[in-house]
Amino acid sequence: MKEYAYFPGCSLEKMASSYHQSAMETTKKLGIKLKELEDWNCCGATTYFFIDELLAYTLCARNLAIAEKTGLDVVAPCSACYKNMYFTAAHLKKDPDLAEHVNFALEEDNLHFNGNVNIKHLIEVFANDISTEEIQSKVSRPLEGIRVAPYYGCQIVRPQKEKENVEQPQFFEKILSAIGATPVNYPLKMRCCGGSLILSSRTAALSMVRNLLQCAVDSQATVIATACPMCQVNLEVYQQQVNLEFGTNFSFPVMYFTQLIGLAFGIKPKKLGIGKEFVSFAPSLLPVLQE
Amino acid sequence: MTDTITFGQEISNLLYASEGEPLRTCIQCGTCSGTCPVAGYMDHTPRQIIAMINQNMKEQVLESNTFWYCASCYYCTVRCPQEINITELMYALKRYSIWKGHYQEGLIGPIFSEAFVKMIVSGGRSFEPVLAPSYIFSFSLREFIQEISGATELMLKGRLPILPARIERLDSFKRMIGRIIPMGGLE
Amino acid sequence: MEKKEKIGVYVCHCGTNIAGVVNVAEVSKWAGENLKDLGVVISRDYKFMCSSLGQELIQKDIKEQGLTRVVVAACSPHLHEPTFRTACKGAGLNPYLCELVSIREQDSWVHTDKVAATEKAKAIIAGGVSRVVHNEPLTPLMVPIHPATLIVGGGIAGIQAALEIADSGTPVYLVEREPSIGGHMAQFDKTFPTLDCSACILTPKMVQVGNHPNITLMTYSVVEKVDGFVGNFVATIRKHARGIKEADCTGCGICWEKCPKKVMDNVFEAGMGNRKAVYVPFPQAVPKYPVIDRVNCTYYIKGTCKACEKFCPTNAIDFAQEDEVLNVQVGNIILATGYDIFDAHRMTQYGYGRLANVYTSLEFERMSNAAGPTGGNIVMRDGKTVPKVVGIVHCVGSRDKNYNEYCSAICCMQSLKFAHLVHERTGAEVYNFYIDIRTPAKGYEEFYHRLLDEGTHFIRGKVAEISDAVRLPGEEGKLIMQVEDTLTGNQLRVPVDMAILSVGLEPRADSKALAKTFGISCSADGWFIERHPKLDPVATMTEGVYIAGCVQGPKDIPASVVQGAAAAARIMGKIQQKEISLEPIRATVNADTCSGCRICNNMCPFNAISFHEDTMVSEVNPALCQGCGTCVAACPAGAISGTGFSNIQILSQIDGLLLLTLDKKKEAVVA
Repeated sequence: MKEYAYFPGCSLEKMASSYHQSAMETTKKLGIKLKELEDWNCCGATTYFFIDELLAYTLCARNLAIAEKTGLDVVAPCSACYKNMYFTAAHLKKDPDLAEHVNFALEEDNLHFNGNVNIKHLIEVFANDISTEEIQSKVSRPLEGIRVAPYYGCQIVRPQKEKENVEQPQFFEKILSAIGATPVNYPLKMRCCGGSLILSSRTAALSMVRNLLQCAVDSQATVIATACPMCQVNLEVYQQQVNLEFGTNFSFPVMYFTQLIGLAFGIKPKKLGIGKEFVSFAPSLLPVLQE
Repeated sequence: MTDTITFGQEISNLLYASEGEPLRTCIQCGTCSGTCPVAGYMDHTPRQIIAMINQNMKEQVLESNTFWYCASCYYCTVRCPQEINITELMYALKRYSIWKGHYQEGLIGPIFSEAFVKMIVSGGRSFEPVLAPSYIFSFSLREFIQEISGATELMLKGRLPILPARIERLDSFKRMIGRIIPMGGLE
Repeated sequence: MEKKEKIGVYVCHCGTNIAGVVNVAEVSKWAGENLKDLGVVISRDYKFMCSSLGQELIQKDIKEQGLTRVVVAACSPHLHEPTFRTACKGAGLNPYLCELVSIREQDSWVHTDKVAATEKAKAIIAGGVSRVVHNEPLTPLMVPIHPATLIVGGGIAGIQAALEIADSGTPVYLVEREPSIGGHMAQFDKTFPTLDCSACILTPKMVQVGNHPNITLMTYSVVEKVDGFVGNFVATIRKHARGIKEADCTGCGICWEKCPKKVMDNVFEAGMGNRKAVYVPFPQAVPKYPVIDRVNCTYYIKGTCKACEKFCPTNAIDFAQEDEVLNVQVGNIILATGYDIFDAHRMTQYGYGRLANVYTSLEFERMSNAAGPTGGNIVMRDGKTVPKVVGIVHCVGSRDKNYNEYCSAICCMQSLKFAHLVHERTGAEVYNFYIDIRTPAKGYEEFYHRLLDEGTHFIRGKVAEISDAVRLPGEEGKLIMQVEDTLTGNQLRVPVDMAILSVGLEPRADSKALAKTFGISCSADGWFIERHPKLDPVATMTEGVYIAGCVQGPKDIPASVVQGAAAAARIMGKIQQKEISLEPIRATVNADTCSGCRICNNMCPFNAISFHEDTMVSEVNPALCQGCGTCVAACPAGAISGTGFSNIQILSQIDGLLLLTLDKKKEAVVA
């Protein structure tokens, strides 16, 4: 029974609740336990770092300190949460000066961070910690003929953790193949969706979303799979706005990869949060959704 | 030995602890601007901003919208042949700009950021509706209506929080933040 | 009671370099008065000791005062040690009885406190004087030079060197691992800036090499091992079996015509075309004998076919032929093994290998070459469509900390050349994407102007990515080059039909192993290290081994030719001298105290220590030894001593340096 400390992040409460539901269902099926961190706070997305670096590190470190107490690896389903916590932990480990300042503040909450915590993105659990065979063994309804565009987004792969080459990862495609779907060649798979620009610089972000949707259409995918709530919201919730702004006609389903895995595992759609989306999956996933 | 510090040196100092080469090693190759997905919307490209900083053009840099349009996708940073951490530069410029209270008029970014952090400081968790006032009033009527209808749909699908979430140990959380502020945190 | 030496001390002002910080007159006076006990009989100071007058000062004193030791306090020994040693020799004193101590690089140039610097100068001189007492007269080692030369690598640099040495009348062994000589230059179409046909200027030299009575050409061969030392190397060469009897082969070509097995040629044709299992790499190959590729030949795989044997009119095919291993004796070696190109697959943002119409520079050369796989036609991968827009990317894998930090020197000119060829052959629109235009040599800038005149579109910006993701109308079916035009500040999407990547040059994949075989060093980048980057670019730290061409760093053809000729000239000079002298600063093993532990054997970076099984002691070969001192430090029995750097010399120098400290504190040094 693999156990992880689970950091859902603010979006998974409501906005991306289907991600949370499908994550819990699929991990349960694979015998993984996700224990939610007690009293976690917001990771800061990108915005904390616009205001004050030290404050941003402290707010992130609070979660890390809480996680350290559990002794488990931390799993974050959201790419921004993952990136923030990974790099906060890395910086605190490398810079004792910074760690001292941060720990001084954490004292107020009776917390202390020693640097002994591993941060993983939820998709890494499926890509690295579980073998392809194990995933395949739980597949009761392979997603035959479903062409999926694997949308990595930016903050899972960048910045570089070591000196690895980040230009052509394949782990998302591997997972999609394992559940029987057809991952398409999606040239813009690591292009940014705009993130919080959707609020602060709307037109710019809408143009980025538009390019991603157009590319998915050109790659002949029927559904986009994402691994980040921001990406899902930008690509899906704002599709109408994109159409109005650019005169396009997109009606493209955007799902969380855990929802796709859940469907392949034969879990009931409602349990995977299907039904909350703006663009219905039904047309593309008809063969699989039929009981 | 000069007593006054130049703008270029100030920004370099902000980047001192980041893991990247100093701004002065930029060879102006343009890879960052060529990669940036938002460069077309910026009044100056990332490369131009670096050139301007190296030339101490403080006014023009702070008045530009470049770093407010950065989505921190990090593509520029991983491709830069001189290994300069350009994304970190954009963050640093945002912080500097807010600290000095000097930024382009009409930009949503600074107001949005401050609203966001105030929200977190008051509750520890994010609550989207409270952010709306920071950007919604810059919209045209049509956009405003779209936004409202979008929000309504989200609410109907159960995706919009009605009540703000709060962490339990909010008091100690606020005291924790209080310890940072004397060290140079926000007001 | 040993006879006291008569030491002369000479302190140089070096203009104001030393005198500006150190009180030279005071130091000189102090040495004359306080170092009498050590043997100083005369102490002088002078403005420029290295000048003729300065040297004559020393020589006069040696003759008139009967000096037995000399200490010069001046600049670093790196610069003028030979000067003063030669001066002493001229006056009849063994040059190794002269010591040069640095009071410039080690004192006046690094301190600002004049008082402290002056005291330090006194200590440094005291150290030098204490040491020189223990110097022994040494004679340089004389080593005979075998007149033959081994040249490894048959590219233009190796060919040039071979011809020059062979023309002077001494024998040359030219070893090349491919079936023919010619190197990369044989692959090119035209050469910049003259646009000479590469093969036309290369092949006459190749033919000369093939015919030269003094050159023993060994192609399809590699050097496996090298033993010995300068003037006396023994190289073990393996001649891979061609499967062809050279005595019978006429080079008629029937064998490769009839051979049914096609193989992708990844070497000469850069993967753009095929060859047969029995082949010559290109029509003008020297030697003309083909080679059977045993990895791909049907006979060696399945035991069938033998078409070549059936059709060969002179019965020259010999499937049973075996490798030949032979030893050659040579006096000097030149390494001219050239370069490999940067693997463009690594820059995945450019889509090489993924997007069909992205080419490397070498692939384009083969395409453009009239004898190449497309007959000199510039066409896309489908073999027939002529591109209407071509984009050429500079600096691929060069000037980039993510790959290679250095500039590859030739790619700007190469990119301009490509632009010209595309204009000439297709009339297509050409875009060159660059960071800087580097055109330094003769005729290069003019070549750039020619390209500007031809209407090439130059965009200053390093290409961020090449993609086939269409976004705007007019981009369908094209490759989009996304770049910032830094001169206007606009992000551009330039649609092209064909993209050519000017990839950088890298050291050969096996360069580190090659360096080890020959006992030389590579830099961190992998290029071989020259003795001095400014003043000695073709010699290495290993006597008798020289480097020429791109093996020393990226360079164009004229520079490679120059280096080949330079290495040749150096070697011809040595051969003419018949013997050379080597610095006697060497390590020697005291056979009595050597315990035979052999720790030193493997430590020696120059493979200079051998072990005698019969007497169970190690011995240092003085000709190979470079005097680095590693073995001296490593020996647990303290049995190895460095001539010129013996323990007593070093310890005395330290004592001398501390002399002032002792004086002041009046304390004895704890043993």
